Amino acid sequence: MKTETRAWAQLQRHASAQLRPGFADRVVRAARAGAEAAPSLLSIFALSAATAALCLLAVTLVNTSSRDLDESDFNLAGWQQIAADSEEFAVNL
Amino acid sequence: MEPSQPTPPVELILRAQRGEPDAQRELIMAYQHRVAGFVYAIIGRSDSVEDIAQLIFIKMVRAIDRLHAPAQFESWLFRLARNTCIDHLRRQKLRRIFTPFAPEHENVPEPAGAVGSEELDALRHALAQLRPQDRALLALVQEGRSHAEIAVTLRSSVAAVKARLHRAREHLREHYQSPHEN
Repeated sequence: MKTETRAWAQLQRHASAQLRPGFADRVVRAARAGAEAAPSLLSIFALSAATAALCLLAVTLVNTSSRDLDESDFNLAGWQQIAADSEEFAVNL
Repeated sequence: MEPSQPTPPVELILRAQRGEPDAQRELIMAYQHRVAGFVYAIIGRSDSVEDIAQLIFIKMVRAIDRLHAPAQFESWLFRLARNTCIDHLRRQKLRRIFTPFAPEHENVPEPAGAVGSEELDALRHALAQLRPQDRALLALVQEGRSHAEIAVTLRSSVAAVKARLHRAREHLREHYQSPHEN
């Protein structure tokens, strides 16, 4: 198993050699830049809540207007029926 | 891999938790080579080592303030490293479903002898035959972690770690052919 131990040591050395100089500095810079650019939890929550409220408002508006249209059609049909009935009544008189 | 070095002082970890860049940099420098070796043992590709190591340390810097027990820093860091590597391999597998490239085009294997000696090639070949979880387990042992520490890292029991380790070593032995033995 000695060769295996040597191979593990070589693997470690080879992997270490893949890190370019200044690795730690780059990581710290990237972590900080990412943290500054990333939106806060509060802002993500506020944006989600605003989007949900807008969607709800749109659905309510569409639903109300379509219900109003249906109601108008229904009323109109009712009045047309009354007008037809009264005309028929007038003719029969 | 080199045996584990002494844990950095708790004071350094506390300073890193307070967001001091110097302490964070010092912590990264203390662990970068060990984490690189750990990543390479699991991923098996030289060209991904730096990117994945960078991702691990960025996660470390961002999450270190949530570490409640600074004495458990090493176990925590290597758990983070293991999970990041396994996630990377999973994502790679998923990506292959959606990309038109065949795996052999996307994942051109490193030619034998290109990365080091025959011994290293033999070890890389043997590791490639194991499951990523088993490679991570063996890498943790090479890191010098005790069974109890590995159990903490993997959130498992010592008995389960011993059993899995035994199986992983058996598999490695099956596939590892030392150049000197041939």
